[in-house]
Amino acid sequence: MSTIAPEAVAGGRTRLAGLLVVPATLFVALMLIGPLAILFRYSLNKFVPGQFMVDALVIENYIKFFTDGYYLNVLIRTVRVSVICTLACLVMGFPLAYVLARTQSRFKNLLVIAVVLPLFVGNAVRAAGWMTAFGSRGALNASLMGLGLIDQPLEIMYTENAVLIGIIAVNLPFMVLTLQSVIEGIPRNVEEAAFSLGANPPVMFRRVLWPLALPGILAGTILTFILAMNAYATPVLLGGPKFQTMGPLVYGQFAQQNNWPFGAAISFILMTATIVLTMTANFIVRRRSR
Amino acid sequence: MAWFSISHLRKTYGDFIAVDDVDIAVAKGEFLVLLGPSGCGKTTTLRMIAGFIAPSSGRISIGENDVTDLPPWKRHCGLVFQSYALFPHMTVAQNVAFGLETHKVPEAERGPRVMEALRLVRLEGFEKRYPRELSGGQQQRVALARALAMEPQVLLLDEPLSNLDAKLRLEVRIEIRELQQKLGLTTVMVTHDQEEALTMADRLVVMERGKVRQIGTQRELYERPANRFVADFIGRSAFIGGKVMALGQFQTSGGLSVACRSASVVGPATLALRPERVAIGSEAEGLPNRFQAKVVHASYLGALLDVQVALNAHDRLLLQIPNRAGLSEPRPGEVMTIGWAEDAGLVFGEG
Repeated sequence: MSTIAPEAVAGGRTRLAGLLVVPATLFVALMLIGPLAILFRYSLNKFVPGQFMVDALVIENYIKFFTDGYYLNVLIRTVRVSVICTLACLVMGFPLAYVLARTQSRFKNLLVIAVVLPLFVGNAVRAAGWMTAFGSRGALNASLMGLGLIDQPLEIMYTENAVLIGIIAVNLPFMVLTLQSVIEGIPRNVEEAAFSLGANPPVMFRRVLWPLALPGILAGTILTFILAMNAYATPVLLGGPKFQTMGPLVYGQFAQQNNWPFGAAISFILMTATIVLTMTANFIVRRRSR
Repeated sequence: MAWFSISHLRKTYGDFIAVDDVDIAVAKGEFLVLLGPSGCGKTTTLRMIAGFIAPSSGRISIGENDVTDLPPWKRHCGLVFQSYALFPHMTVAQNVAFGLETHKVPEAERGPRVMEALRLVRLEGFEKRYPRELSGGQQQRVALARALAMEPQVLLLDEPLSNLDAKLRLEVRIEIRELQQKLGLTTVMVTHDQEEALTMADRLVVMERGKVRQIGTQRELYERPANRFVADFIGRSAFIGGKVMALGQFQTSGGLSVACRSASVVGPATLALRPERVAIGSEAEGLPNRFQAKVVHASYLGALLDVQVALNAHDRLLLQIPNRAGLSEPRPGEVMTIGWAEDAGLVFGEG
């Protein structure tokens, strides 16, 4: 897709229009690229216990990550959790987004607000709420045991499932909103044309709706995948100390171990993994749909 | 013999009756047009035929089969939308082949049938283009080819020409009609454009507020409208209020006595007069209804002059004067003699 500058209005001062994009550009450059460059430089430094960070130009931090099974496991676990969450968001989000996009109900705006509403609650607050609900003495286990349905409390907290549920719940609105806006742009009568030409709903979905919604599906999956890869509060609060993912791992290296070079290296590995996986998926899906 | 029929079709939304007891029978190969103002229920009727709206009651049958409860994809109706609804991610050939694939036409047959459909709409050589690379008229023809390729039992056209510019519309009208006749396709079209309906249809169904007001050929609708609505909607009529005094005697609210053959039921009524049936000046001599009329307003329309005249303070009429050489344009205030025959006026009782 190409971005075309807006056509100049007669008598308009196009220079001014050009100047308007400068603040945002500068802000991003200063606040993102600058720190990233510094971080990258740090990742090549050495960490000497007691001496904090020592200037160097080595790749031992990266080697450490990829040769230690523990760290590799954290990366694999993070990718697995992110992929599962993204697919779950897509599978659950598509029907909801479709209904939202196609509904003629006068309560449509309320429905959209209901989808966005969970975002008003911060991740940490939400996760804290779940701790009270799903803990071994939480509301859910207490009720089930009180009803005599189970003898032992269900282990929900501090498991991979808890983290999966938590991230899906946080990311689902992003997926739904992205898909909804794209599906709204697909005219309803294109679907009807497919039906009248003999396509039953599954065929219509596969041949018409899915390919036309693909840009939204890609945007939504990329968004939720990135959010899941970088999740912090949810895995920390719901996964507990044993269920490490990349986000908390980075924080731990910086804040608890004071190992800035290794923390910086993990940051870059996380970023690179996210970008590479996203672009690969994007590439495969686009080529398949040709 | 009706090939395709709708009986007692009804659609209600809460208290609102969108389509009310519609009965239509279409012969094989016939071109039927549903005509009416917006909101008259014509599109709802078409969408019920296509299967997109479930009727509240009534039956729809095509050929031997009752299709009332079949989903759209089992009805085999080729539908052409006002907005064409082409698949933007498919080429012209893929669009046209879509209906063949869903109907499991063997692959070897598809190619020739796609080509044949594109040839019919004169779009050979456009197979590899995408819809966005085509003009509106070409897109419209692809939509038509797509519907034709699957050899539909009934072709449904939903205002297919209203997105085309005026000149193209005239051409495409005739093209569609010729194609329909050549292929002997049973066709139902919805339009609000009277002229379009008159040029294309074998028969027309005039609808208003969910009800069928009249079904007939162009000539029947124009010359023997069943009610005031049809007289007003098809062509133009001037309406004069008044009452029927006796058989063949109509009195206008302005007090003029008019001889009129169709006046039969005594009581309040409306007299409808086609503007071209009103004679002027010397041509009016010898006619039973002859009056002095004062010109109120004259509009120059090129081939015709549209003239509004007043017979008195209550009764007004519309005339059309052909723009012949040496015509002197009537001026407002000018007085002329007008007249019409006994069978020119049509009387509709109130209610």
